Amino acid sequence: MNINTPIEEREFKIVGKSVKRDDVLEKVTGEAEYTGDVKLAGMLHGKIKRAAIAHARIKSIDVSKALAYPGVKAVLTHENVPRVLHYGSPHPRSASCTKDQYILDDKVRFWGEGVAAVAAISEEIADEALDLIEVEYEALPAVFEPEDAALPGAPLIHDVGPGGNLVLDPVRVNRGDVEAGFAQADFILEGTFSGGRPHPAYMEPNVCIADWDGSNKLTFWTSTQTSFMVRGILAEVLGLPLTKVRVLVDHMGGGFGAKQDCFQHEFLCALLAKETRRPVKMEFTRHETFVAGRARHPCKVWLKQGFKNDGTLVARDMKLVYDSGAYGSHGPGVTIVGTTAATSLYRCENVRLEGRCVYTNTPINGAFRGYGVVQSYYALDIQMDEAAERLGMDPADLKLKNVVRAGDIAPSGHPIVGHGLEICLQHGIDVLDWKSLRNRDRTPDPKRPHIRKGWGIGCEMHGSSAYPGIKEQGNATVKVNEDGTVTLLTGAAGLGTGAHTALAQIVAEELGVRFEDVGVIHGDTDVVPWDIGAFASHTTYLVGTAAKMAATKVRASVLERAAMKLQVKADELDLSEGKIFVTAEPGRFMSVAEAMGPSRGIPAANIVANGTYEPTKSYSFAAHFTEVHVDTETGIVEVKRVVPVHDIGRVIHPIAAQGQIEGGIQQGIGHTLTEDYVIDKKTGRSLNAGLVDYKMPLSMDMPDIETIILEAAPDPGGPWGAKGVGEDPIIAIGPSIANAIYDAIGVRFHHYPITPEDILKALREKGA
Amino acid sequence: MRRFDYHGAETLEQASRLLTDLGDDTFLFNGGTDLLVEIRERLRRVRNVVDIKGIPGLSDITYDETRGLTFGALVTVGRLERLALVRERYPNLRDALASLGSIQVRNRATVVGNVCRASPSADTIPPLIADGAFIHIYSRTNMRVVPLAEFFTGPGKTVLAKGEIVTGITVPPAGDNSGKAYIKHGRRKAMELSTVGVAVSLSMDDGVCSDIRIALGAVGATVLRAPAAEAILRGTRLDAATVKSAADKAMEECTPISNVRASADYRRDMVGVLTGRAITQALEASA
Repeated sequence: MNINTPIEEREFKIVGKSVKRDDVLEKVTGEAEYTGDVKLAGMLHGKIKRAAIAHARIKSIDVSKALAYPGVKAVLTHENVPRVLHYGSPHPRSASCTKDQYILDDKVRFWGEGVAAVAAISEEIADEALDLIEVEYEALPAVFEPEDAALPGAPLIHDVGPGGNLVLDPVRVNRGDVEAGFAQADFILEGTFSGGRPHPAYMEPNVCIADWDGSNKLTFWTSTQTSFMVRGILAEVLGLPLTKVRVLVDHMGGGFGAKQDCFQHEFLCALLAKETRRPVKMEFTRHETFVAGRARHPCKVWLKQGFKNDGTLVARDMKLVYDSGAYGSHGPGVTIVGTTAATSLYRCENVRLEGRCVYTNTPINGAFRGYGVVQSYYALDIQMDEAAERLGMDPADLKLKNVVRAGDIAPSGHPIVGHGLEICLQHGIDVLDWKSLRNRDRTPDPKRPHIRKGWGIGCEMHGSSAYPGIKEQGNATVKVNEDGTVTLLTGAAGLGTGAHTALAQIVAEELGVRFEDVGVIHGDTDVVPWDIGAFASHTTYLVGTAAKMAATKVRASVLERAAMKLQVKADELDLSEGKIFVTAEPGRFMSVAEAMGPSRGIPAANIVANGTYEPTKSYSFAAHFTEVHVDTETGIVEVKRVVPVHDIGRVIHPIAAQGQIEGGIQQGIGHTLTEDYVIDKKTGRSLNAGLVDYKMPLSMDMPDIETIILEAAPDPGGPWGAKGVGEDPIIAIGPSIANAIYDAIGVRFHHYPITPEDILKALREKGA
Repeated sequence: MRRFDYHGAETLEQASRLLTDLGDDTFLFNGGTDLLVEIRERLRRVRNVVDIKGIPGLSDITYDETRGLTFGALVTVGRLERLALVRERYPNLRDALASLGSIQVRNRATVVGNVCRASPSADTIPPLIADGAFIHIYSRTNMRVVPLAEFFTGPGKTVLAKGEIVTGITVPPAGDNSGKAYIKHGRRKAMELSTVGVAVSLSMDDGVCSDIRIALGAVGATVLRAPAAEAILRGTRLDAATVKSAADKAMEECTPISNVRASADYRRDMVGVLTGRAITQALEASA
């Protein structure tokens, strides 16, 4: 579809309404079954022995005591697992990936990496047996900072890839002529920015269960966003056809992008089950979700931009270095997406970007909501505020002048549809009466003179779908049952976002049946159509369109069937709320059940259709307006109020969309102010791998959020113009907070998290 | 989670014997909100737990005007927090109780357990020390009562001998014209360990500070008193300049460390800020 494709308008009956989610009752009653709830007869428990050293060669590994420990059934080491080099991220269609992982290797590349696995009759016994495994290491020099890892002569962490500890060749993007642009500039701003290592800290720890049957088929339950990718990589590494691997996932307690990797524990669980011929369960502790899970890439950004005195941006020169940790995982994708994103957001004809991704001896960084863009837009948006200050302009005016417009070339290489960002910004300016906020009386409250208040704006745009990095494909199968109910089969995972509800709404709307009459079957790779995975804010956009396409087809078939029974032509019929009627004579009708069911010797109809959709990409937009209170004596920043204005095209389920926005804001406040997974830069040891000292904001820390969702820039690529919303909010909130802090206390911060100590230190330097 | 053996005690004597006889790595099990986390996170090696929750007589709360407030070892944080008496007469303790963990944790955790864990950052300890609380200790040979300020010997360490069990705590009554405050500084508003906690209890006599106790949490091996800062304040009218110099003195008296929660320098700064604020708050409450 191209941008000129008209978007169908209709009077919606189900789309755009906050119908009751299909999973809500079972979740609030505790009946919903998560992977960790699966219990099989004779099930063993697996545990992983983790290295307490950041970089080493394993000289010897002695498992005899562990194997002899009562209750232990199997121990695996690098000496007895298949040695298959494989991808870290499950998207081999992304050409930039490097195969850099073994299931177990004779080398340790980060503190916490698994070096052996045990299966035992109880979790406790497996855990105790880990202490009996004796590993002798030959320590290797380690590097913990990308700058050090990139130095000539730095110890090499891998012997694959482009070398020099690079995960991929540098990503370079050039548009226009940057030098000519700087030559026209009236002034130039240059700065360095950096981001910490936030962890998604999903509620449900990674967990899987493996069970081999007598036909040598593996059934594998796992909490994953990408069940077909897990199936593919397990089959490849275990040497099995896809018919012999079945992956199951029902409800999930979150993922936020981080549950779309090829995890070591998944291979080990399958192999332990194979070895013992018994089902094996492997569930991470909270500590393991940090050391063996995936965090956001720490990033250093250098940004230089040229401006004219009227606020026109004439040149942008940017270098980004992402810290991949010990393996590539999503490093290539994150680097490409995060770097190319900087071609856009604020218009600039002359752009030169370079993104690097570097291995270090630290835990693995992977996909996490915002996927590289959190880092790059933090820099872009803060520097835009600095430019406004230099120009003596209101940042709202400067941003409004420069934000991307309809027809501008997006990072994907396609023209942007709609003035989404401009409209979001203008809407927020209007509803907040931004001018009066800017010009307010700034005298502190005499009762609390140490509290300073500030307002800031953060902007973002983000694509629904991973195109062009990955050529995406959405699939759906819709079946109409003989009682008039409808079954949607989808491979899209249910992370907890309500995606299946939105898909059912789309099918019901398109087909013309009630929402309650659509059932969704998901999470079984033997049953549902192939799916790329739930990520890149794309499920509603991509799978939603596929589901709509399938529904269109079955609708036609249902009308054909009814036409036969009503003895009219199909094009004389309409279908709405489960009722098929003659358009010209609404009194002549039959229910879908009557059309589908058997009658007068005619057997029930079998109506099934597939929808397959291969999209490019749409962009969603947001501007966040944020108020902070800064305590100038303690340095504590409280986010008091956020007005997020989002354009996500057609809204399918308003409350679910609002929930995504509020959740993204909460997670974004976290990484901007309090959340950072800290690695000791002398040893590589994790300093806060647990929820005691990894601090996410809780309900009491949350500001008032007044969400505004616009439907100003629908994209013809999504169902009735719907676009994604999952990742957007976490991108805009960070710079809005940093800019609000500046407004409050006159100090600029170029990093996150901005801690109370940072605030006090900066205030003192400013005072000095 | 590593395996351990559970022993339910029905009398103090039985619990005491179990603690003595079961050998090393035996721990008293009360609310368990800290102990179980420590076992799970492998921070403490535990072979046996002795549960005292089945022992009668340890759940009482009493108050009289001369002796003050006494509560037993099984009294939960949440129960004490919700008492009108505590809210009215011990607002510093009430604020500390309300800042501990979450509602769910507070309904399980006990105040005595929080105290006996002897963490320098425990929320309930600073106000109890500032109020001059006493701790009641059972042993099979004698009972003893120890001022809480003398109970702690280091992080996680107390004067308790093997087989001794704390049965309750007594907090003296608040006098007329007294004022109390507890201010907790953390990275978020709930489910948080203190970065710094400051408690102040003072008495005013005709506009002059007749007595004051300042207790500083999370800035030393135990919760600390700030005697030199208190000396600056006693006998003064607590004007802003005096409060400022006492707050500066408290910064000198504390001995914080740096860790992932905050640097020593920042903690010291916060002792200054929060001591000043807590004195002011307590003074306002005394009026």
